[in-house]
Amino acid sequence: MATAPYNYSYIFKYIIIVMADCPHTIGVEFGTRIIEVSGQKIKLQIWDTAGQERFRAVTRSYYRGAAGALMVYDITRRSTYNHLSSWLTDARNLTNPNTVIILIGNKADLEAQRDVTYEEAKQFAEENGLLFLEASAKTGENVEDAFLEAAKKIYQNIQDGSLDLNAAESGVQHKPSAPQGGRLTSEPQPQREGCGC
Amino acid sequence: MEAVVSDVVAPEDLLKFEKKYNNELLKGAVSKETKFEYAWCLIRSKYTDDIKKGTVLLEELVQKSSKDDSRDFLFYLAVANYRLKEYERALKYIRTLLKNEPGNKQALDLEKLIDKALKKDGLVGMAIVGGIGLGVAGLAGLIGLAVSKGAAKS
Repeated sequence: MATAPYNYSYIFKYIIIVMADCPHTIGVEFGTRIIEVSGQKIKLQIWDTAGQERFRAVTRSYYRGAAGALMVYDITRRSTYNHLSSWLTDARNLTNPNTVIILIGNKADLEAQRDVTYEEAKQFAEENGLLFLEASAKTGENVEDAFLEAAKKIYQNIQDGSLDLNAAESGVQHKPSAPQGGRLTSEPQPQREGCGC
Repeated sequence: MEAVVSDVVAPEDLLKFEKKYNNELLKGAVSKETKFEYAWCLIRSKYTDDIKKGTVLLEELVQKSSKDDSRDFLFYLAVANYRLKEYERALKYIRTLLKNEPGNKQALDLEKLIDKALKKDGLVGMAIVGGIGLGVAGLAGLIGLAVSKGAAKS
């Protein structure tokens, strides 16, 4: 039941950076989600940040201590894809070496208006050591997978010891004694990836 | 939304953007971007005076901005006033934003949060008034009792 408190073994901090060339999120938004990896329930604390110049300098501070980063561009707008490199540099500089970054091409449902090919983005992701998926926030296709793929990789890093949970800013907390902040239920917030304009 | 309004700025960030702001101020003109960055940090401070200073900067930005631009400033003015417990003012700002953009989910969430705080404040106010009323009634009762006892003795 939705009213029952969730038991989860881990909390992962995620950031979402949405490349946008038009007004999108105001500054930052926060949401949580519960997912399951290898039978372990994981609570995701997600800071959704606007990838707009105006917010850039300040939203950087939210990157610190993220276990996972989702970088979202719009496959129908090349300008959003072209922004990626410089924002990726920011993300790399401000997170730790173990932070898992996943590149997401949003609006995969709009095939006819595609402006960035799958192959091109895939290659960019490989060259930069990023996971990659195309998804659609509108239809929901691959959205869950985006969160899950990143979580699997983080979990794997914990298992093989490459992610030190005791390190400051690992972005991962193990088994909290009680759910935080009185938020007993998860609020799977619809992630408004890409802009509607 | 609770997480967003209760988010506190890291002191080193506040310092960084304060320096940038002051540097530009010394040179004569502060850019809109720098002013906004500093204001956004100020209103997330744990100190009331910082938050108030942030609202002054955001007010200045709203005055000089176009409708499209103003959404960010109005949103953070509402957040700042919420943090200052100036709920009526917070509501005024968020409703101005909503007039321009009725469907904005973040703004709607914040409006709900402010409304809730306002109602809670109202209830607490009523409880205090109610409490005073009870106290007065109780006191009157005691006096009455004392008077009647006194009367019985004499």
